[in-house]
Amino acid sequence: MTRLLAAIAFAVIGVVQQPQADSILEARTAEVAAQLRCPVCQGLSIQDSPSELSQQMRAVVKDQLREGKSPDEVKAYFISKYGEWILLEPKAKGFNVLVYALPIVLVLGGLGVIAVAVRKWTRAPDSPA
Amino acid sequence: MLAHDSILVSMAVVLFGIVAVPVAMRTGRRGLLPYAFAAVYTNFFLVSVAAFAMVYALVTHDFSVSYVAQVGGRSTPLLFTVISLWGALEGSILFWAWVLSMYAAAVVWINSRRPGNLVPYAAATLLFVSFFFAILLVGPADPFGVVSPVPPDGPGPNPLLQNHILMAIHPPLLYLGYVGMSVPFAFAVGAMLSGEVETDDWMRITRRWTLSAWALLSAAIIAGMWWSYEVLGWGGYWAWDPVENASFLPWLTATAFLHSAMVQERRGMLRLWNLNLVVGTFLLTILGTFLTRSGIVSSVHAFTTGTIGYYFLAFIAIVMLASLALVAGNSERLRSTGRFDSAASRETVFLLNNLFLTAFMFTVLTGTLFPLVAEAIKGVKVSVGEPFFNRMSLPIVVTLLFLMGVGPALPWKAASKAELKAKLVPPAAGAGLMLVIALVAGARNVYALLAFAFAGYAAFANLREYWIGMRARRTAHGEGWGTALVRLVGGNRHRYGGYTAHLGVILVALGIAASSTFRTEYEATIKPGETISLSGHTLRLKSMWGREEPQRSVVGATLEVMDGSVVKGTMEPRMNFYPMSQAPVPTPAVRSRLLGDLYVNLQAFRPDGSNATIRVIYEPLVPWIWFGGGVVVFGALIAIFPTGRRTDA
Repeated sequence: MTRLLAAIAFAVIGVVQQPQADSILEARTAEVAAQLRCPVCQGLSIQDSPSELSQQMRAVVKDQLREGKSPDEVKAYFISKYGEWILLEPKAKGFNVLVYALPIVLVLGGLGVIAVAVRKWTRAPDSPA
Repeated sequence: MLAHDSILVSMAVVLFGIVAVPVAMRTGRRGLLPYAFAAVYTNFFLVSVAAFAMVYALVTHDFSVSYVAQVGGRSTPLLFTVISLWGALEGSILFWAWVLSMYAAAVVWINSRRPGNLVPYAAATLLFVSFFFAILLVGPADPFGVVSPVPPDGPGPNPLLQNHILMAIHPPLLYLGYVGMSVPFAFAVGAMLSGEVETDDWMRITRRWTLSAWALLSAAIIAGMWWSYEVLGWGGYWAWDPVENASFLPWLTATAFLHSAMVQERRGMLRLWNLNLVVGTFLLTILGTFLTRSGIVSSVHAFTTGTIGYYFLAFIAIVMLASLALVAGNSERLRSTGRFDSAASRETVFLLNNLFLTAFMFTVLTGTLFPLVAEAIKGVKVSVGEPFFNRMSLPIVVTLLFLMGVGPALPWKAASKAELKAKLVPPAAGAGLMLVIALVAGARNVYALLAFAFAGYAAFANLREYWIGMRARRTAHGEGWGTALVRLVGGNRHRYGGYTAHLGVILVALGIAASSTFRTEYEATIKPGETISLSGHTLRLKSMWGREEPQRSVVGATLEVMDGSVVKGTMEPRMNFYPMSQAPVPTPAVRSRLLGDLYVNLQAFRPDGSNATIRVIYEPLVPWIWFGGGVVVFGALIAIFPTGRRTDA
């Protein structure tokens, strides 16, 4: 087992070495591109999609970043062209807050219910829950 | 035509069965029941006739049938012609109905001699669901429409669906798993209708059905991921696409049920909750079919794709209301009979497991439906995609991984302080080891580190249960390690099947964590003879080539995998051009090794073959996902097979 895991570590270390050429710009492009939706795919980002349109859009992202625009400015450019729909993650503002808040409310509420229930079930041996 | 009439007749038969069961119960004429069961078999026969008639029409290219005109094509290979049965809306509804009629027949065949009212009511419930699908088949999803004049040829199936053999495997598995969830649902409803919900018999009867459906659904999800990986050319396997989410939602609630059912079996608790999980799982399969088959979420013009959506929504509403009414009517019988001995017990971990699995389901469901809701209420189009789902689900996933280690380590009922320490501390070694490996490998993301650590913890904890059991057998019976393992697992298949499934899930989790943390990629345009390198792997473009096939044209690149100047092998990523599709369909080449895949996709090429744009991705541990999926299914099989004797620990 240990030997296997060590081998994995080695394999993975080998993997971390990136190709040299303008890798910082590449990484920044990838980061922005992963948040933009490929308009002709089903739910893929332009970073992941191999479609031609996505390749062109990636090139636009890269050019704009190279010109010194910030990631937010690049995203704003695409929002102005396609609408907010182009963002793969909705901005946590206004109505959109719901989609972020509801799961958190559920988890917190559920933890509360479980805490109360377990307390009740362990304390009162006579009365059924 | 024959098939259409067959569905119409089946509706009459099904209706008779649905009415006959309550009549027999109310009037005491149990002699009617065999006729109701006969209706189940007859329905199976009639829907089979329709399904096979459709396959025959597809194979013989009978383009007068609307569905064949829609998905058939003379140049499509036979295999893909047959499996285009489930390639579009109408055919997949027919397939759904057929699988359901088969399940209903099998359920009745196996259980019809059981006394009491449970099985007849369960059969009637399955017939009720069948009736809904029959309505779809004669109404909004009629595959047997008549086309006139008859076209000479059809477009063929969606190119994405005829590009890989996994399309012959993934959809049937998915439907078998999806539709299989109707069986526990039918028995839950049957138990409430018959008042037999008190005895928990419905859970004992459906345990294997639920496990089988769960195993099939697990296999289907993994096969779908694999298909996405092998066909879509982006090097990923999960994009939180609505279609993928739809398959995942019922899996989450079914997984929650498999765990909470044990609390009911042991302690007589969570009975109401378990009914809700079973009904919820069934509803999610219906919702999933609706979402994926109506085009409502993937289409930009939602709500305009025909009327089938209203049928689904009406059915979902009916099932929800009826289930609520039944639960309310049975509230006295659903009282818990047990109690917890201590908060520090396996029971508590199961509660947490259920909370987080349900929260996971709820998060994915909310995210999947949110664009529809936002558009309906606020009139704005928003996307909810991968970054959202990753952000929201990662905390849940790492918690579940941790619980998967804690649960098996804790005993039922109560654990003393000393016991807690003895059980919970040693697995930390597994966590530490994985954490060190992840850190050394360069992982810095908090969730990635937690995922590796908790996967190590859970792996240690689950493996330790085997170790403890085997050691005990060796001491008690003087058995060898192999014998001890076989007898240990054989003596309690349910429990060790579960641990095996856990190990499979851990392998999947490691594969996902490693491939998303350590994935590297590089894209370059090269000429024949030139090379492209990524993380120690060098590929040389040997040649570009083209080939005509009956249904498509193929352009490929032959790349040699180099080790210094030695050629170790070749990889051939291709691009397939189908006449009916504007965009080419890629076929990436994958070279799998134990520790990872080299994944190569042909992105673009110059028509004269003078250069090619190649994307190379190194994907660590991806094969572990497929293998882990197999282990999960193997674990379920261990639990499904009949137990000779059961020695509960």
